[in-house]
Amino acid sequence: MILKKWAFFIFSFIQIIWLAGCTEKSFEPIERNQHFIASLNIQEPSLDFIDDQGGVFASWTFDKAYTGAILLDKDQILLYGHQLDEIDVFALSTGKKLYSKKVEIGTTNVYYAPKFKQFFVTNSKMNTVTSFDVEGNELASQRLGNYPMSMATYKDKLYVVNYKDTKLSVLSIKDLAIEQQWPIEKSSHGIVIIEETNELWIGGHGEGSKPNSSVKRYDLTTGAVHGQIEMPLMPVGLTKTKDNVLVVSHGHNELYVVDFNGTVKWHKEVGANPFVVNQFKNYIVVAGYDDHTLYFIKDGQVQKTVDVGKGAFQLLVREEEK
Amino acid sequence: MKKISTRIWLLIFAFLIITVVFMYVLTDFLYEQLYVEDTESMMIEVGTKLQTMYTSGKVTDEFIADIEHYNNYSNLNIFAVRNPRELSACVPFDIDYETLIGAEERQQLLEGNYVQKIGYEPRFDRQLISVVLPLVDQNRLEGIIYIYFPLAKISELASQEVIFLFLSAFVFLIVMSFFVYKGIQRIMRPLNNLQIAVEQMSYGHYETRVPVKSSDEIGKLSSTFNGMAEAIQREDEVQKTFLATVSHELRTPISYVKGYSEAMQNGIIAEEQKQETIQLIVREANRMERLTNELLQLARMENEQKDIALYPIPLAETLREVRKILMHQAQKKNITLHLNVDDELIVKADEVKLKQIFINIIENAINYSYEQSTVDIVAVENNGHALITIKDDGIGIPLEDLSHVTERFYRVNKARSRADGGSGLGLSIVEQLLKQLHGKIEIESELDKGTTVKITMPLMEE
Repeated sequence: MILKKWAFFIFSFIQIIWLAGCTEKSFEPIERNQHFIASLNIQEPSLDFIDDQGGVFASWTFDKAYTGAILLDKDQILLYGHQLDEIDVFALSTGKKLYSKKVEIGTTNVYYAPKFKQFFVTNSKMNTVTSFDVEGNELASQRLGNYPMSMATYKDKLYVVNYKDTKLSVLSIKDLAIEQQWPIEKSSHGIVIIEETNELWIGGHGEGSKPNSSVKRYDLTTGAVHGQIEMPLMPVGLTKTKDNVLVVSHGHNELYVVDFNGTVKWHKEVGANPFVVNQFKNYIVVAGYDDHTLYFIKDGQVQKTVDVGKGAFQLLVREEEK
Repeated sequence: MKKISTRIWLLIFAFLIITVVFMYVLTDFLYEQLYVEDTESMMIEVGTKLQTMYTSGKVTDEFIADIEHYNNYSNLNIFAVRNPRELSACVPFDIDYETLIGAEERQQLLEGNYVQKIGYEPRFDRQLISVVLPLVDQNRLEGIIYIYFPLAKISELASQEVIFLFLSAFVFLIVMSFFVYKGIQRIMRPLNNLQIAVEQMSYGHYETRVPVKSSDEIGKLSSTFNGMAEAIQREDEVQKTFLATVSHELRTPISYVKGYSEAMQNGIIAEEQKQETIQLIVREANRMERLTNELLQLARMENEQKDIALYPIPLAETLREVRKILMHQAQKKNITLHLNVDDELIVKADEVKLKQIFINIIENAINYSYEQSTVDIVAVENNGHALITIKDDGIGIPLEDLSHVTERFYRVNKARSRADGGSGLGLSIVEQLLKQLHGKIEIESELDKGTTVKITMPLMEE
């Protein structure tokens, strides 16, 4: 009887400590004025913060299997996972969780539209996109094609690539009403909108055993095919900079720098199996998924490399407004 | 009912089958192990050599063609793959595609290690041994060399040989079980003989014997059986002799009685002789009565329980009473019964039995003594026992008969038997009684000089 009481007491004690630990859990704070490029690594989920000198100044390691992250504004980071039933929002300046929001399992992507102060969550199990305000209140939801994932916004429209489908959905941000459906290739991934030429570019893996090796160009208003830009195998990471589009082809480990007219300016073999590219300060940063390394490229040369956690999959950039 | 030999045979047969099956499984297992290991090491060796053909950069069409060219001349199936999709490069993405290697294998390959796989491959739809070697350049998995070989089961490899193996195992089993059967039969034969002999014994054939050929358990059992059979046979003969003697002893007086009474009936006997004849008949009838009484007594004694109640008896008094009883008989032959007894001797005995012992012995002494002689009866203490000596100066007993006098119906002088009126059972009864009273008898005799009978009785302990 006494033994039972003791066992209960110890169990309760451990529970309390565990729960306390849970609620108290916080990460290393990131100062508000600190510019960084952060690498989300998904093999052993972690987030590495790197400054413009290429130094890792903070590293958040997670117990949850996060597969994606997005900066909501300057000080909030949203984390989601394909197998997780909630999305978590942390304040960078405190390292503490602001809130969690219950979602259906199957989150494939979250996209933030600063102009609207809204974020959009795509779900591959429900095949939906749902909009939330920055406080995490659900605003609207829409059923889409199979496996919605890549997203981009322009003006008052949300463009969603249905990854396992042959259509791109154009929605109104306001109520998520479907306005247009464009035919695209299956396994498309990576999207940029080039307002300068009124074009929308899509990358992709390619279907089945036939890998894709081009970026498709569409008319932003009508969805008419404008042509394609030949690329190495599997261009899936597309990022628009001030006057270029950066494309990484993970099949051939190539970075292509293309101007808005689709002319390849230069290209470089970099990283091992890179999925993402971004611009940070004067650097083009490519993340190698297989070699767990970030490559800082300037003037067509790798200036420095930074070791990050296993499976670098996304790059988040915070710097002063351009 | 199963015979024990059948059971042993079945047991050995079962063990044989188990052994054969076990050997088969073991062989199969070992063969597969060796076969797999051997194939694997060969595949690794070949793959490692082919790997050196790749130096750096992208995997070229030439390289793929070279590997394919090699494949055409190789026993192994070899091909090179550079499609990132096959190499699970798209792993973070949900791909509806069965890749050649998995995510974990990709990690292993990225580290520059080869991957070994044994088992079912859906791509090839069969059991395979495969070795995957990476073509790595600066942490980039540019491609792989995939080598595989069908993992054929031993049965698949050599179905003909398997049939032969099964057949030879079957023949081996048959031959072995035949020899085992014969062997067991040989071992069990003496036991069978013994069983037959026992059966014969039970039918009354006491002369049955079994041949003893070995000194093992069955041999010992056989010789023990032979000993037992001998004992039974001897006892049986004694029984038969006894019965013959009894019937013979009874027939003699009966024929007397019958003869004389018939003669009287037919008027052959003269009137003056009738009285004498009747006396003869009475005497023979008495003899018969005594004989049957004594036989009855003997039989009863044998059946009587061993431990009869013994109590203290003053020996002198008993002997005096016996002398009184026999005085008349002695006087007929003018024989003096001389008694010299220690009055303090108290023996542990049964009075009736003790009296009968003395009566029988002293009666014998009187019967076989010459007229006007003396029978000395002396009782003294000797080594804590009472020693009673009955000595006569009679005809004595020949030395060769001395050891037989206590046997039933044994008579020293057969011709004289009827004249002296003995049944031949007296001393047998004495011996039996003494056995019950824990006493002993010892007879010394010299022909024509006399006989001395020494009886030892336990004294009452104080």
